[in-house]
Amino acid sequence: MFYKALNGVKVLEFGNLISAPFCAKILGDLGAEVIKIEEPEIGDTSRKQEPFLKDIPGTERSGLYQYVNMNKLGITLNLETTTGKKIFGELLKTADIFVENNPPKRMKELGLDYKSVKEINPRIIMTSITPFGQTGPYKDYKGGELVATHLGGVGYLSTREGDASKEPLKYPAHLFSFQAGLCAAGATLGYLYGQKITGEGTQIDVSEQESVIQNVNASIARYSYTGQISRRTDVLDLAPHHILPCKDGYIYASFVEEHQWRRFVEVMGHPDWADSELFANAQIRSQYWDALKPLMLEWTMEHTVEEIYRNSQEKGIPLGAVRNAAQVLEDKQMKAREFFVDIDRAKTGKLTFPGVPYRFSEIQREAPVAAPLLGQHNEEIYCKRMGYTRIDLDKLKEAGVI
Amino acid sequence: MDTAPLKGLRVVALTWVWAGPWMGAVLADMGAEVIKVETRQRLDAQRVVKLTKDSVEDINMGQFNFTNRGVKSCTLNLKQPEGKELFKKLVKVSDAVITNLSPRVLPGWGLDYPALKEIKPDLIMVTLPAFGSEGPDKDYVSYASTIEAVGGLNISFGYPNEPPVLSGTYPADPIGSIYGLVGFLAALNYRTETGKGQLVDVAQSEGVTSLIPEVIMEEVMNGRTRPRMGNRDEIMAPHACYLCKGEDKWVAIAVGNDVEWQAMCKVMGNPDWCKDEKFADQYNRWQNQDELNKLVGSWTKDFTNTEVMTMLQKAGVAAGSSLDIGELVRDPHVVKRGAIIQQNHPVGGKINVYRAPWKSALTAKNPPAPCLGQHNDYVFKTLLGMSDSEVARLSEEKVIY
Repeated sequence: MFYKALNGVKVLEFGNLISAPFCAKILGDLGAEVIKIEEPEIGDTSRKQEPFLKDIPGTERSGLYQYVNMNKLGITLNLETTTGKKIFGELLKTADIFVENNPPKRMKELGLDYKSVKEINPRIIMTSITPFGQTGPYKDYKGGELVATHLGGVGYLSTREGDASKEPLKYPAHLFSFQAGLCAAGATLGYLYGQKITGEGTQIDVSEQESVIQNVNASIARYSYTGQISRRTDVLDLAPHHILPCKDGYIYASFVEEHQWRRFVEVMGHPDWADSELFANAQIRSQYWDALKPLMLEWTMEHTVEEIYRNSQEKGIPLGAVRNAAQVLEDKQMKAREFFVDIDRAKTGKLTFPGVPYRFSEIQREAPVAAPLLGQHNEEIYCKRMGYTRIDLDKLKEAGVI
Repeated sequence: MDTAPLKGLRVVALTWVWAGPWMGAVLADMGAEVIKVETRQRLDAQRVVKLTKDSVEDINMGQFNFTNRGVKSCTLNLKQPEGKELFKKLVKVSDAVITNLSPRVLPGWGLDYPALKEIKPDLIMVTLPAFGSEGPDKDYVSYASTIEAVGGLNISFGYPNEPPVLSGTYPADPIGSIYGLVGFLAALNYRTETGKGQLVDVAQSEGVTSLIPEVIMEEVMNGRTRPRMGNRDEIMAPHACYLCKGEDKWVAIAVGNDVEWQAMCKVMGNPDWCKDEKFADQYNRWQNQDELNKLVGSWTKDFTNTEVMTMLQKAGVAAGSSLDIGELVRDPHVVKRGAIIQQNHPVGGKINVYRAPWKSALTAKNPPAPCLGQHNDYVFKTLLGMSDSEVARLSEEKVIY
C-alpha cells in the first residue's frame, strides 16, 4: 500500500488486463487488502504484454502486469470447477468489495452475476467494468482500447489539426482503459462510504465507453449550442497551439491570452518579425500560421527544450516540455514529491515504478508491495486463512482447481 | 442502499475550468450537496466560452453547463474581508472544500488548509494543482496540454515515424477530477474511522503519468522511449481504423486471435487474399499489417461503419464506429443507458449532458448547472441564517458579488 486510508477493507478481484485490476490496485494503494484471482498456470493476460524486462518475455517479466498489480495478494483459482466455485463463495462472504471485468454473459454462466453474488453476500459492493456496461444493445459487444475510444467519441476527434487523408489516431498505450479503472475506483469508494453508513451493498455498472465520453466536453458543448460537429481537421482560432520541434526535442506552446504571447516574444529575444501585424493576435496568427511557423522554428531549433520550458515558465507562460520517459523519471518536481518508487521483487529485482498522484496530510506514506508471482499467496490464503492443509493444496492443484 | 451514498455531505467548491468542476459534478451525482463559490470579479472562464465567431456571450452559457451539472452556485468576493468571513462560515457548516485554483491563490487570501482547519477541525480539503502544491515547480502554470506534455503522454502519441501530436480532447483534466474524487473519498472513509480530516493534494501531472505505465516501464526496463505507433497494437492485427462509405466515416477493428480472424474472413465472404500465408496467423498478420490494412479497407469502403460494426460484432469480432458527436448523442446504446441525457438549462436551452461514467440505481437526480449566484438566497439566508437586509447590503457592497 501507499496509504493506510482503507484499513480493514477487503477486496476480491476477478479481473484481467487493465480496467478491473487497475481499479483494485487503487484500492490496494489506499490500504485495502486485495486478493487477486488468476487462472491457474496462465494468469492475467497482462503478464504477456510488453514491456518486458530486457525485452525477454516471461510470466513474471511484464512491466505492465507488475505496475497494475502491486499492493495485492495473488492466488490461482479455476472458477469453472465445482470446488473452485465453492472456494470462491467462501472468499466472497468475507469481502466488502468485488471487482471484475468479465463479459456479462460469462459472469452469468459462472453463476457470478450480481443477483447470485448478492445471495452469497448481501452487503457486498460489486463493481463490474465492461466495454459497454451491463445493459443496452451493445452489452455483449467486444471492446478494447481502440474500439472504446471510437464508440466513446474521442477517436473521431483525434488528433488536433489532423490530416483528413490519415486515419483517426489512437491515444498512446491504454490510456482510456486506465481511465475507466480509475473511474471504477472512484465509484467504488463512494459506495464503500454508503456501505459503512447503511451496512448495505450495491452494484456499480462501469462502462468504458462512458468513461471515454467524459473527455468530449468541448465538442458536446459546441454541438448542444450550435449543432456543429467538431472534427479533427478543424482549425482553431488559436495559434500557436502546437507541439513544435526544438534543438533537442519538442515543446508544447499555446497562448490563449495575449499577454502570454507578448511575454513569449520577449523570451525569444524580441525578433523584428514579432511586431508584424500578421501576428497581432491569436486569431490572426492562426490565419497566418504557415508564415509564422517557420519564423518560430528558426528560433526554437536554436534552443533546448529545458531552456524554453524554464524561461517561459519563469515568465508565467503555460508552455510545456514534451518529456520523454527518461526525462519524466528525472523531473525535479516529481522527484521532490517522491512520485516514483523503487520496488524489489523476486525474478526481476529492483525496478522503478510510477507511484500515486495524491498526498495525504494525516497519513504516513508507506512502501508499496510488489505484484504477486503467479499463485504466490495460495498457501497464505488457502491454508493459513481458510484451513486447507498442504495436502489439500496439492490435491486441488492436481484437480486443476488452483 | 436506497439513496445516493454521499447524501447529507456538503462540499464547498472553489473550482473553475474543468478538472475541479467535473469533480464537483460527479460528487453531486453521488448525492453530495456541492456549493460552488464564484465571483463576477473573476468569472470561471468556461462560463463565457465563445463557441462560434458570432455566438452571443452570456455568463450562463459555455462549457460550464456540462461540467457543473447538479451543483449550486453562490457568489462571494473573497478579496473582501467580509467575503472571507462568510466563506469561513460556509466552511464551518460543510464537510469538505475542493479546489483547482492555482496553489498561490488560497494562501494569498488567508484561506488555505491550516486556516480553514481552525474553523472546521475535521475538514477534508482536496487541492488539484497541475504539478503539486509543494516542490520547485509548484507555481508553474498550465493548460491540460501542458500537463500532458510534461507528464509524458505526447512523446509516444503520433503516427509511426512522425512528430508527436497534441491530444484533441485534453484528458488530463477529467483524469485530475477523478483522482481528486478518489483522494477525497479515501479521506472521507478515513474520517469515518478516525474522526480526522485532512488535506489531500493531487498533482494532475502525476495523474497522467500514472495512467501510461507502459511508457515509463519501457524506459525503466529497456532504456528506450516507447515509439509512436499510430493505431498499432503490440500483438493484435488487424488493429486500425478503416474508411467506410460516406465522408470521413471510419470503423475501428481489433482482432485479438486466430478464431476472431477466421470469423472476420467469413463475414468478408472469404476472399482469396484471406487464404494468403502472409495472413495465416497472428504473427504473420502483424508482420504484414500495412498490406493487410489496405485489403481490409478495400472491403469496409463499400459499407457504412454501422454495418461493418454490426456484422463483425455479430461474429464475435471487436469493432466500433468512429462516432462523431452528433452520432454519439443519438447512439442507441448511449441513449438506452442514459449516458448522455438532455437537460433544459434556463439560459443554455436544451443541452446534451453526460453523467458520471457508471450506472447505478442510486445515482442522484440532479438539476442543470446553476446560473451565476442562483443559490445565493439558499446559501446566505437558509444555510447561514442571514437577514434579507444583510444580504442586500453585502450585495450592494459587492461582497456577495
